Amino acid sequence: MLLAGALTLLGIVTMSGWLAESTRQYSWSVGRTTNLRVAAGTLLSQLQDAEVGQRGYLLTEDRQYLKPYEAASVAVDRTIATLRRLVEGNPEEIGIVERLTSLATDKREELAQTIELMEAGRRDEALAIVRTGRGLRLMDEARRSLGDLITPADAQLDTQLAAMNSQARQSLWVANLGGMFILLVVGAAVWIALQYTRDLVQAQQAIQALNDSLEQRVSDRTMDLQRANDEIQRFAYIVSHDLRAPLVNVMGFTSEFEAGLASVSAHLDRQPADGDDAIASEARRAVKEDLPEAIAFIRASTTKMDRLINAILALSRQGSRTLNPEPVSMQVLLENVAASVRHQASELGCVIDIAGPLPQIVSDRLALEQVFGNLVDNAIKYLDPARTGRISIRARDDGSRLTFEVEDNGRGIAPQDHERIFELFRRSGVQDRPGEGIGLANVRALVRRLQGEVGVDSVPGQGSIFRISLPKILTLSPENTAHDA
Amino acid sequence: MTHDPQAVCIVMIEDDEGHARLIEKNIRRAGVTNEIVPFTDGTSALAYLLGPDGSGQASMGRALLILLDLNLPDMTGVDILAKVKATPYTKRFPVVVLTTTDDRQEIQRCYDLGANVYITKPVNYESFATAIRQLGLFFSVIQVPGAEA
Repeated sequence: MLLAGALTLLGIVTMSGWLAESTRQYSWSVGRTTNLRVAAGTLLSQLQDAEVGQRGYLLTEDRQYLKPYEAASVAVDRTIATLRRLVEGNPEEIGIVERLTSLATDKREELAQTIELMEAGRRDEALAIVRTGRGLRLMDEARRSLGDLITPADAQLDTQLAAMNSQARQSLWVANLGGMFILLVVGAAVWIALQYTRDLVQAQQAIQALNDSLEQRVSDRTMDLQRANDEIQRFAYIVSHDLRAPLVNVMGFTSEFEAGLASVSAHLDRQPADGDDAIASEARRAVKEDLPEAIAFIRASTTKMDRLINAILALSRQGSRTLNPEPVSMQVLLENVAASVRHQASELGCVIDIAGPLPQIVSDRLALEQVFGNLVDNAIKYLDPARTGRISIRARDDGSRLTFEVEDNGRGIAPQDHERIFELFRRSGVQDRPGEGIGLANVRALVRRLQGEVGVDSVPGQGSIFRISLPKILTLSPENTAHDA
Repeated sequence: MTHDPQAVCIVMIEDDEGHARLIEKNIRRAGVTNEIVPFTDGTSALAYLLGPDGSGQASMGRALLILLDLNLPDMTGVDILAKVKATPYTKRFPVVVLTTTDDRQEIQRCYDLGANVYITKPVNYESFATAIRQLGLFFSVIQVPGAEA
């Protein structure tokens, strides 16, 4: 579009240039023709002057009349030279000028002859030459030749003028059309620009609307999730409390039962065993062996049940605790964690190596202590007795996040258990250590609350690396700050 | 005007009959012989404490000590606590909250409403029994004001 406009403009400029060139040529031609006309007129009048001088002298014999003749005779050469210059390059005109030159020469010779005869006192002879009419003929011929020279030049001028006029008209047309076209182009360009702008504004509005609805959708979704999360929290809390109440009864009445059994046992002890019949000895065995064994199983189960409920309760409390982000020196925090297990570690001959200095982080101190405390505890708990234990802790800066690694050379975790170990009540490997399968579930719950991720790389028999990625600065949105359980 | 501690009646509001029985057993083991009136739901307990008209006049002249569980089937113990402490005839009765909840906010709320003692039931039975027996000892020395005449 714009290219077409530019081309049109270029066309108009070229057209104007062409017209200007034509005009220049025309004005040059006009100048030449005018000069030619003037020179031709001058030549004719000079020849006439010479003839007038000759006639005057022949009539009066007064030499005074010879002055114009002499002046004109000299001037004729100059005029002819001018003519020659003007017709340069035009063979036809050169021919005419050559004939004019010879006519002028003949005329001057004729004049000079008569004047010489006159001066010699042969007036009659001079008059006789005049009477032949040759001078008259020469003059007529000269007039005709000059006419021949001027008429075509005039005609050429007329043609050029006509051509130039038509050219000017063409130029005007081209200029007008071009101008109109350019106006059209500019109008179209303006229209397109407006269209584009309108489209852009519409697109922007659409994006804005989309953005708004997206924000709305995100906040809706967040609220749903928050509600679901709250529901789970409440559920866990209620379950743990409601499971506890019957358990108190089971444990309580088991104790009552045990106390009752103890009194029965004391009573039986006072009876001599040798007087027992079959039923009495059966009762004695029940009181002494079977019932205490049953009570022991009930106790073990209720104790375990109690621990599990406490774990759920602890986790649900953890989820509802208000986080308090503050600047925490990870160096100090991890040194404290290592110090708390130093006794245990030195007993096992295990080295804990912190690749300091560890960076600062803004997060919840208590949660961090629990997370790293759990990981280091686990590392010590599951060391491989076949080799000297070594636990290394290091940090890596990932821009806006920090990644911490807790590496051990312990017994390791089978690949199929890498995800399972983070689930509640799930454990991996040989079950030769006390525990409920709560630690890592708690770690993951805590790390997620700190907007982080936890994962593990491990080769069984070689060791494990637990990786925790945390934001450098924990910022809490209003939804996940405080929840009172 | 004070009453003979022996005349004080213990109102036990506890929905779990097992718990109620274990509490009663251990209170008795502490040598407390006062009458124990058990309720397993909030509605009947309130009817006893405040009377059928809910004015509390039914408790006029009584000397009561209230043992209150917070997890009840028909209402929370906190509602009962609030009503007891808001009624002129019952507001001076000592209230002992005995429950499984050890949530900090819940404890604060109970004390704010005027609970005199808050005890979390230990899950371990030996601790539970010890706590109740100590509570029983506490009951034997506590002075309970009679309701306003």
